[in-house]
Amino acid sequence: MIKVFKSQMTRTLVIRFFSSLLTLFFLVSFLFFLIRLSPGDPTDKYISAKLGSELSEKIAEKFSLNQPVSNQYFSFVANVLRGDLGVSYSYRLPVIEVIREYITFTFLFSLISFILQISLSIWLALWVIKKRNKWLDNFVTNSSLFVYSIPAFVLGVVLIYVFSVKLNLFPISGLKSLDYDYLPFLAQILDRIHHLVLPLITLTAAGVAMFYKYIKESMDDVLQQAFIVNLRATGVSEKTILKGHVIPNAIRPLISVAGVELGILLGGTLITEVIFGLPGMGRLTVDSILSRDYPLVLGCVFAAGAVMIAANFLADIIKLKLDKRLVKGILN
Amino acid sequence: MDIKTLNLLFVSFLFLLMIACDSKQSTRDNRIVIAIPADVQTFNSLFAFSYEESAIAEILYPGLLDFRWNEERGELDPYPMIAKGWQWAEDSSSIKFYLRDDVYWSDGVKLTSEDVLFSYDVFSDPDVQSRLYGMFNYLFTDAEGHIDIEQSFKIISPFEFEMYFTQHSVPDLVRIVIPIIPEHVLSNVSRDRLSNHESGFNPVSCGSFKLKKWDRNQSIILDADSSSFLFTSGQAAEIVFKIVPDYTSRILQLKKGDIDLVELIKVEDMVELNTYGNLILLNNSGREYDYIGWNNIDPEAFASGKVIPNKFFGSSDVRKALTMAVKREEILKEYLLNQGKLAISPVSPIFKSAFNNYVKPYQYNPAEAKKLLVDAGWKDADRNGILEKNNLEFRIKMYYPVGNPLREYSAVIIKNNLKSIGIELTTEKMELGAFIDNLYERKFDSWMAGWGVPIPLELKPYWYSDPNIGMLNFACYANSDADKILDLLDTKVSNERKNELFKKFQEIIHQDEPVTFLYWTPNIIAYNKRIKNLNITPYGVIVHCWEWRIDD
Repeated sequence: MIKVFKSQMTRTLVIRFFSSLLTLFFLVSFLFFLIRLSPGDPTDKYISAKLGSELSEKIAEKFSLNQPVSNQYFSFVANVLRGDLGVSYSYRLPVIEVIREYITFTFLFSLISFILQISLSIWLALWVIKKRNKWLDNFVTNSSLFVYSIPAFVLGVVLIYVFSVKLNLFPISGLKSLDYDYLPFLAQILDRIHHLVLPLITLTAAGVAMFYKYIKESMDDVLQQAFIVNLRATGVSEKTILKGHVIPNAIRPLISVAGVELGILLGGTLITEVIFGLPGMGRLTVDSILSRDYPLVLGCVFAAGAVMIAANFLADIIKLKLDKRLVKGILN
Repeated sequence: MDIKTLNLLFVSFLFLLMIACDSKQSTRDNRIVIAIPADVQTFNSLFAFSYEESAIAEILYPGLLDFRWNEERGELDPYPMIAKGWQWAEDSSSIKFYLRDDVYWSDGVKLTSEDVLFSYDVFSDPDVQSRLYGMFNYLFTDAEGHIDIEQSFKIISPFEFEMYFTQHSVPDLVRIVIPIIPEHVLSNVSRDRLSNHESGFNPVSCGSFKLKKWDRNQSIILDADSSSFLFTSGQAAEIVFKIVPDYTSRILQLKKGDIDLVELIKVEDMVELNTYGNLILLNNSGREYDYIGWNNIDPEAFASGKVIPNKFFGSSDVRKALTMAVKREEILKEYLLNQGKLAISPVSPIFKSAFNNYVKPYQYNPAEAKKLLVDAGWKDADRNGILEKNNLEFRIKMYYPVGNPLREYSAVIIKNNLKSIGIELTTEKMELGAFIDNLYERKFDSWMAGWGVPIPLELKPYWYSDPNIGMLNFACYANSDADKILDLLDTKVSNERKNELFKKFQEIIHQDEPVTFLYWTPNIIAYNKRIKNLNITPYGVIVHCWEWRIDD
C-alpha cells in the first residue's frame, strides 16, 4: 500500500514537473514574439547625429535582428535546448553570465526576507494568542493591515528619511560602505548587515503583515477544534498544544501562499532595489526591457519563471508530505 | 529559545552594529564621490556608449589632445595631452603629431605611435562595431569605413607620426582626436571578441586615474595613478562613482555629505539645496533644448511614398502662429524658475561666435497668431471654437515620451494656449522606445521632445532635407538655402566664414520655424564645497579631474 502510494505520489510530482516546464516554454515563446512585435528597436540607441546608421545596421546584423522573426525563434529554441540563452546586446556577454551576477544577490536577499516573513509572522501570531487580549489583537490586526497597505516605495523613503537622514543610524543606499575593504572581517559582516536592515524591513514588512493575517486566522480556527479542547482536558500544557498541534496544523494553508510569495521575491523586487541601490533581478529585468535587450529580457523572464515554478513545486511537495488526507485522496 | 534570550541577542546585535558603524576608518578625506544613476557595462573605450561610460573612459584613456571650453568664443581650444605638439601642413592635407615620451600604460609599457595607429584601426573596424564606427571619412577608408592605415598614417618614429586626410575632407582637431587604447594588450585579441575581452572589466589605461575596483551596481573606484604623466601632487587619491538609481536617494546623500557631486538636480530642489552651506549649485545650461515638432509633411502620404505638405503644419506662417500662441515664458518662469532660457533656433547661446544675436524670439502674441491663421485660411466659420479649413477642423494630437515632468507640465500649458486660439490639441504619452520608433518612421503629426547639442556644433543630421543625411530631421524640414549652407559648412572654410554661415542658417530657420523651439533646459549641478578647481563648462562636468583638489 505504501509502495503504491509512493509511486503514485512520484508520478503526480513528475507530471507536475514536466507540465511546469511546458508552461515555462510557452511563457518564454510567447514573450519572444511579444517583445519583437512591440514598438521600439534595440539598435535605436546606436543612431545619433555622430554615429549615423552604419553602426546600427552592423549591430542588427551581428545579432541577427535583420533575420525573419521565425528564423530568430528557431535559433533561439535550438540554443535554449543547448543551455545557451544568447548574448546580451547591452552587456555583450552571455545572458547566463549577466544573470548570474544579479541572481545570487536576489536569491540570498529574498530568502532572508522570506524566512523573516514566516518566522516573524508566526512569532507575532503566537504572542497575540498567548496574551489573549482583545485590544491587543485588534491593534496588531489593524496595524498589520496598515503596514500591508503602505506601498513599498513610501515605506522605503520614510525609513530612509527617519533612520538614515534624521537619526543617522543606517546608510541610505548600497550593499556595503566604500571603506569596506579596509574593515576587519567581523566589521565587514556587520557592515553588510547594517546596509541590509532598511531594505529588509521595506521588503519584509508587507509580507509579515500578510502572513500574520493568514496564520492568525488559521490558528484561531485550529484552536476552536474539538481535539484541542480534548488535549487541554487531558492536561497537556498550553506550550505543547501550541507548538505540537496548533502551529503544524495552522501553517498548512499557508504553504501555497508562501510558495507564491517566495517565487515573487526570487523574481526580483524592483522598487526596493531602486530605492536602496541594490543589484537585483528586478532592476536588471526592467533595464533590459527599457533598452530592448531581447535576449536578456527572455533570460530574466526565464529565470523568474523557473524560480516561481520551483517555489510552487516545492510548496506542493511539502503540502503532499504534510497532509496525509491529500495522499489518501490520491490513493482513493 | 525563550523571549528573554531572544531579547538579549537582539540587544547584543544592535550593540555590535553600533560598534561596526564607529569602527570604520574613514578615508573620505582623499576621496571624491560622484553619484551616477546607472552602472556602466564596460570600461572598454571602444564600447562606451552611455554618458557614464564615456565620462569614465575619458578619464582612463586620454586622447592625443585635450580640450577646454573657451567661454568668450563658445568654442573648444585644444591643448597638448598625449601629443605634446602638432603641426598642420600648409594646405591642411595632413597633420604631424609629436608624442610625449613619458606616457606609460598602467602595466608599465610605454605608449608609442603604434598604440595610436592601432586605436584608429580598431575604432574604425566594422567587425568591432565601436562607438566611433563610421566616423572616419576624413581619412582614407575602404568601402566599409575601415581606415586604410598605410594610406592614412606614416610612423616617423615611436613618438612622431603623420596623419593624411582625403582631398575634400574638412578635418578638425575635435573630430580627429580619439581615445588611445593599448596595442600590446588588444592586438592579439580577435576583433569580434573585443567586446567581451577582460579589458572591459580590468582595463590597462594611461589616464590620471586607474580602475581600482568595480562592484557591479554599487560603485566604481578609481585610484590616482602616480605613474601617470597627468598625475600632480595634491590630486584626489580616489574618485568614486557611486551608483544610486533613485533621485531622492542621491539628493539625500548629497545633503548628508556621503556624495560630493550630483548632476541633473530638479529645479524645485534648488531652493532648499542652496540653504546648505557646504554645497555649491551651478546651472550648466545650453546643451539641451525642448521643442514641439510639427511634421512639415503629411505622415499618411509619406507612408505610401508621397511627400506633400502637412495639411495642418505645411505652411511656415501656421507654424509661426503656433509658436506665438505658446506662452513659453510661463513655463520658464513657473516651472523652470527662470533657470532655463528661451530657445530661438537649434544654435545654443553658448556658441557665442556662432550665435546670431539679431534673431529675436517670436513673442507670445495670441492675437497675431490668430491673424496669421486666418490669413492661412483657418477660420471658425461654425463658431464652435475650433478653426477649420476646407472642412477640416484643426484637431491635432501631440505625443511625448513618459517620465519627464517638465514635458507633462508644458503639455498642459500648450494645450490651453492653443485652445484659446481655436486649435484642439490632445496629448498622449508614449513609452520612449515606441516614441522613437514612430519618430524615425515620421508617423506623428506633432510631438514634443528634446535634443542634445553636440560640441562642436553639428546641424546637418537634424535639418538637412535629404533623409539619408538628415536622419534626425523628423520634422521633414526642407529648404534649399538651408541645405546649401549646411553643405558649405562641410567644406574648408575659415572659422569666421563658418560663424557667418551659422548665423545665416539661424535667420533662415527662424523664418521657416519648422518646429517650435521651446527652451534650453537647465542642467543644475550641485557639488560639495570641499572640491576645488572643479571647472564645469558646457564641454563637460567630469573632465580634467586630475586638477581637482580637496579642501577639508
